[in-house]
Amino acid sequence: MTKTPMSGRPADGKPADGSSQAARILIVEDEAHLAEVVADNLEIEGYDVEVVGDGVAALERIRAATPQLVLLDVMLPRMDGFTVCETLRGEGNRVPILFLTARSSTDDRVRGLQAGGDDYLGKPFDLSELILRVAAILRRTEWFEAGSSAGEELRLGEAVVDFRGFTARIGERELSLSEKETMILRCLAERPGEVVSRADILQRVWGYDAFPTTRTIDNFIVRLRRLLEPDPKNPRYIHTVRGTGYRLTP
Amino acid sequence: MTARARWLQLSLALYGVIVLLYATLVGWWVYFFSQEGELFERLFAEAGAPLDAHQTAVLTAETERRFYMFAAETAFLGILLLASVTFVIRSLRREMAAARQQRNFLSAVTHELRSPLASVRLYIDSIRLGRVDGEKQQRYLRHAGQDLDRLGELVDDLLSTRRLTTEGVTVALQDVDLGELAERCVERQGNRHVGTGVAFELAVTRPTLVRADAGALDKVLENLVSNAVKYGGEQPRVHVSVRAEGRFAVLAVRDHGPGLRGVDPQTILQPFVRGQDEDVRDQPGVGLGLYLVDEFVRAHRGKVAVNDGLEGGGTCVTVTLPLAGGARAPDSKVAP
Repeated sequence: MTKTPMSGRPADGKPADGSSQAARILIVEDEAHLAEVVADNLEIEGYDVEVVGDGVAALERIRAATPQLVLLDVMLPRMDGFTVCETLRGEGNRVPILFLTARSSTDDRVRGLQAGGDDYLGKPFDLSELILRVAAILRRTEWFEAGSSAGEELRLGEAVVDFRGFTARIGERELSLSEKETMILRCLAERPGEVVSRADILQRVWGYDAFPTTRTIDNFIVRLRRLLEPDPKNPRYIHTVRGTGYRLTP
Repeated sequence: MTARARWLQLSLALYGVIVLLYATLVGWWVYFFSQEGELFERLFAEAGAPLDAHQTAVLTAETERRFYMFAAETAFLGILLLASVTFVIRSLRREMAAARQQRNFLSAVTHELRSPLASVRLYIDSIRLGRVDGEKQQRYLRHAGQDLDRLGELVDDLLSTRRLTTEGVTVALQDVDLGELAERCVERQGNRHVGTGVAFELAVTRPTLVRADAGALDKVLENLVSNAVKYGGEQPRVHVSVRAEGRFAVLAVRDHGPGLRGVDPQTILQPFVRGQDEDVRDQPGVGLGLYLVDEFVRAHRGKVAVNDGLEGGGTCVTVTLPLAGGARAPDSKVAP
């Protein structure tokens, strides 16, 4: 019987850029049956999968093996998933994290995303949705890590943004940017002078429906203007195109 | 900030407000008392005549009487205030514990309902989409069946608890061989765990007749043995014994797992007690099994004891029931 990958990726789970390694995914789940069936299906997709059953073991494994994606349950033995995520982010670890959890209220989702999670999927979930989300997160990571037409740096007047270091320098002052802020800037910088729609940014930076509203992007833009524009109320570099999206004019 | 730290802050703030109020009251009394003394002295000075010994004694006695009256009033009010605040804080603490317990319970039920649902759905999706075949398909179907059993048990427990809290336990008593019931339960559990490495040891005296409801006792046995498997560690070894001791039948179910790990054996029989915040989930379940066992056993005029920290590890739950053959009690009902 043929076992066909659903993600549209090559059957060996290798990235589309032709590099040879299958993506390594760590599943952190204490429910043995769920871990088994998720792991089997991701292996069918060609990913290299490992399973651990508690929060402390997950932290140790992520620090030691640096997977490309972590599927993280929230209610876990020894340490809960939110704490695992916060601990990793506190250490500067940017491994993409997809929460897979029975706790799917809006409050829980917000808490998961505030803890530094990249996406949130409530149990029970659809197999194809899981596989597509995994593929989407890995694609975003690949896009961000691969070389970009935007280059390594972006110059906006006196401000110089370093995409690799997640920082911006204005004269002697160095500002720290969040991962999402950096990704939004790079998304705009790849198409200078063109209008980039909110939907495009959402797709690139968060993946579909991770956030309920495109207004979230507007809040990030306001903060970026405050950091980088000489006069945030009359922006010179990051322009709003009413009803559509944003345009960057370096 | 942890819930404990927040609670400590709230208590301190409440006591602080009370101390301030009390200090204001005492201050006002002292001021009032001294003002009154000065008023007396002024009145006597204005009268112009020196006080004789009798008048001085009356004045001193009156001053003392007023002093003791103020002191008694102050002390009484202080005690009353302190008692009220302590009462309020205790009530608040109970309310907060109940709210936390309910939150934990909801969290645990959500997890226990949704996790098996999620795996059953993925097992079915995988088979339906032709992603697995042969032996793995059979394995998936077996696991999906186990997940559905688990869901069924949880729903049964929830419904039993609901009935119990609204209607109480109703038992139809007859002579039942506890030894035979234990043997059948272990056999069922053995079949359920074939090939999983779970070991059962059985030591029963037959017949051990008790006056009981066979259905309720079955539920007790199923709960205790399932618990022992669940908490029995990597390779669970469950020991079940039934024997007669004096006028009582004693059923003991013991596992060799890590034990209760800090959960108080005294509170483990209460509903929804799981001993930890639900985000950190060291043990499966929602905290109803032992509560139901205790309710059923009490309806038979029996007792449940939980012993932890045994030599060789593990937890032992002992159920003591009156042996049949004594005065035959009619069908009994225990109010909720």
